[in-house]
Amino acid sequence: MAHLSYFSPALANQRSSKVSVGPAESWSSDLSRDSCEYYQTEIFGLLPSSQAHRRLHAETLADDQDQSLLDRVSWNPSVPLRDLPVCLQDKRDIRERQPLQRCSIGYWDSWRRSQQKTRRRLKEHVGGAVSGLLPWRHTLHKIEGDCSYASIQSYELNLCTKLEYPIKHLRIKHCFHPGIVLKQPSMFESAAESGQRVDTKPRASRQQLPRVPLRDLPVCLQDKRDIRERQPLQRCSIGYWDSWRRSQQKTRRRLKEHVGGAVSGLLPWRHTLHKIEGQFGVGVKAYFVFLRYLLCLNLLYCVIIAGSVLTPTLVFAQNSSTHGSLGFQNFSFKDFFVGSGVLESSPVFHSFYTRGSLDLDCLNTPILFLLGMFSVLFLSIIMVVRRTVVGYKHSWLTGNRFNSNLSYKVFCGWDFCIQNPQAASLKQNFVRNELRMDLEEQTFQQRVQQRSLRHWVQLIFLRILLNVLVLVLLGSSFILIHFAIQTSQTKCENHWTLCLMLEYLPPITMTTVNYILPHVFSKISEFEDYSLTIQLNLTLIRSIFLKLASLGIYLFFFINAQESPEQHKCRENAFGKEMYKLTIFNLLECFFNAFCVAYPRMLLVERFPSSKLAQLLGKKQFEISFNVLDLVNSQTVTWVGVFYCPLLPAINTIRLLLLFYVKKFTVVRCSVPAQRMFRTASSSVLFHFMLLLGLFMAVVTLVVNINRFDQGGCGPFEGNRTVFTVTSVCIKTLPDPVQSTISYISSEAFAFTLILAEVVILTSYVSRGRANRKAIERLKDMLVMCSSDKRFLVKQHSTIMRRQQRTR
Amino acid sequence: MGGTSSKLPKDLLSEYQELTFLTKQEILMAHKIFSELQDRENGLYSSRVSMEKILTLPELKSNPFRKRICHVFSTSDMKDGSLSFEDFLDLLSAFSDSATLEIKSHYAFRIFDFDDDGTLDARDLEKLVNSLTGETDDTRLTGEEMRQLISNILEESDIDKDGTVNLSEFQHVISRSPDFVSSFKIVL
Repeated sequence: MAHLSYFSPALANQRSSKVSVGPAESWSSDLSRDSCEYYQTEIFGLLPSSQAHRRLHAETLADDQDQSLLDRVSWNPSVPLRDLPVCLQDKRDIRERQPLQRCSIGYWDSWRRSQQKTRRRLKEHVGGAVSGLLPWRHTLHKIEGDCSYASIQSYELNLCTKLEYPIKHLRIKHCFHPGIVLKQPSMFESAAESGQRVDTKPRASRQQLPRVPLRDLPVCLQDKRDIRERQPLQRCSIGYWDSWRRSQQKTRRRLKEHVGGAVSGLLPWRHTLHKIEGQFGVGVKAYFVFLRYLLCLNLLYCVIIAGSVLTPTLVFAQNSSTHGSLGFQNFSFKDFFVGSGVLESSPVFHSFYTRGSLDLDCLNTPILFLLGMFSVLFLSIIMVVRRTVVGYKHSWLTGNRFNSNLSYKVFCGWDFCIQNPQAASLKQNFVRNELRMDLEEQTFQQRVQQRSLRHWVQLIFLRILLNVLVLVLLGSSFILIHFAIQTSQTKCENHWTLCLMLEYLPPITMTTVNYILPHVFSKISEFEDYSLTIQLNLTLIRSIFLKLASLGIYLFFFINAQESPEQHKCRENAFGKEMYKLTIFNLLECFFNAFCVAYPRMLLVERFPSSKLAQLLGKKQFEISFNVLDLVNSQTVTWVGVFYCPLLPAINTIRLLLLFYVKKFTVVRCSVPAQRMFRTASSSVLFHFMLLLGLFMAVVTLVVNINRFDQGGCGPFEGNRTVFTVTSVCIKTLPDPVQSTISYISSEAFAFTLILAEVVILTSYVSRGRANRKAIERLKDMLVMCSSDKRFLVKQHSTIMRRQQRTR
Repeated sequence: MGGTSSKLPKDLLSEYQELTFLTKQEILMAHKIFSELQDRENGLYSSRVSMEKILTLPELKSNPFRKRICHVFSTSDMKDGSLSFEDFLDLLSAFSDSATLEIKSHYAFRIFDFDDDGTLDARDLEKLVNSLTGETDDTRLTGEEMRQLISNILEESDIDKDGTVNLSEFQHVISRSPDFVSSFKIVL
């Protein structure tokens, strides 16, 4: 082949005088890097990337891997034939080949594709008709012809410079850091050998070296020392400003690390969580981390409420008889559970916080109460939204949440924190099961593609039936709760324990329903013939709906109930009492679950492993999702009740503290790790979103309640001094400009402008995202081309080398 | 250096703090553990600890990649996986929780590259999957499953379609998973 003789050393020697004789150096041809002479060589025409448009006529293809490129360019059925850059005859050939593929597609897909085609044609017709109506087409066409060349050129230049950067990366396949090319293609040579090569790099990249902190370089310690020794030699060329700035950055970074270390040292239970992580994996640890986060949140609420609500009331209290110690003699055990008696007039409930002696226009106890409560809710909104958004960004980066991504499961599959041999073999089991499940899901998807029409109809019918069953179950549970609430409102004449049970009937019903139904839902979803991930998420969504809706019905009932006026003089207190009962019952339930259900079950399985019951039940698995749902539920209850039971966050804090130790006992002593690996990133988004939903529900309930309790019976807003009058009195005392600003901000015009501005900003972000995605696709195609070029050149090179050795 | 010096000189300590991601307490703890490993060796005080001794550490004992980790971080000329104290610090620094994602992904790539050729080809991937699932016959994936898995991995992560996963492609896959940093961690 004549064109290959260009690269033989003899010919190269003739052309240039500075080429040395050795085989490795024969590659340093006289083609200068800056000029584009290599585009004019013969071999350029043979490269796969130059041949790509001509490949469609090829009878035989040399490489199997080039076949895939061919397939991508020409066989993609969703690309319309007009968009292919080939001649007419090739388009006819492709169109003939297309029907052969269609049988493996499926009726649904082909129908959808024909619909897309019809829609596209219709759009083109309409577009053509509209542009025919536009005036001045001919004039604009003439103007464009004169002025467009310059704009096209500049656009192309921009695109070239943008795409040049990634090409530089591709040229050196094993380069691992853009700022330092200390090691050339043979990757793991020691620094001493490659030290000389640093000097051959152009000046620009050498100056880039010191910008990276030494710690971030992936080389061994001795190499880092060598680099650091070289750095002061370069520093004289940097300048005092840069070195001062860099030392400032270093100090700032170290300070941040110190503060971060101090803060994380304050967090409790680090050692326990580390042990749990080693034994049970990252998912269970995530649950406990979430619990700790809620604990800190509730503690923060306690501080805020103590400062803004409790302290003013205690300090500026009027000595009225209602705060007397009438209760201490009559304290009974029942009061603790129901919230009556002495607790009713204690700081726990709303009625304690009367308007004290602090009675200025804009600084009185009601205003402080309002400020405290609203700051609690506002803080919650900010923190929960922030956590949801951060988690959502992460899971968006991982791509489709519901599809399996095998590469990162394999690359990130091993948890290096595991120290226990049993935990290690357990983890190996998980990984194997997870990989097998994903492979099965893939074959499942392929099976789905091949479902016949009759099968589809049967399946849809079955799914509708099961969904109706789910709705029936939900409806019946709601009716049950409603019935329980109604029964609990009746006055009870029996022994105080039975009365207690009657009062607690709604929470008992709700908890039982919330415990049983999710398991029923997970069983039902097995019959619906979805893939495993979709099954899990469907069960989760149904359980979320169940929990929030049952709480919602509970609240709804109270909002609509007609109570007799003498029974509940203080309706706010009644509402607060219900929330208090729910919280207390949550705590009791968790104790009960741990000591009366999980522990005996574990004992049974351990002592009598061969009995039928033990084999039926098996060891309890710690189900992370359902436990997190419980946490979210209880936090929602706290948010709903904080306005009417201001010490509820404090009670919740104590409850969470006890819950931590009880759950730790359950996990460590009574459970085995779950068989299915928990994807922390993707499901945590769902949990934070649920938290957000709960918060939203709490805010709505609060607003409705404030409207409802117009004539308050007790507490800081009793009588004529409702929430609205108190705030309006305060606003009227402010100066005029402030008043007009406030009235403008709360008007509809401002809200409308705000929404419009947000829509415009959102549109710009979305269009930028779309443009970036297109650029990514183009870059990926370029990568494939460059890689096939490289393979071609490497093959030619080895052929030449072999020929040279043979001729010697 | 004579005898078994159980204290680390101050300037070395500050240098290690600057060049690694470890805090002072972590470096001192590492020094203590490394000295214990050295003392357990029968024989003279040698500055390198053999791979077998390193593998007795509880953090590495149950790790299927323990031998690869030792080989990657070892700077010994004999390529036997023995670690000096500085190699040990490099190891802990790369696995600490303040190390950056780039460092971790770089070292993870080197650990998974079983034949040290700079790319992950199908053989490397097969060995990787076998380490993850267990080496015994009944815990391995079947040949058919392995083939399907490897073709899926290459399809997803091999962007330039050359049949191997190079470092940039590996880092691209890793950067999309936020759990990597928390699972690629060894804390003494």
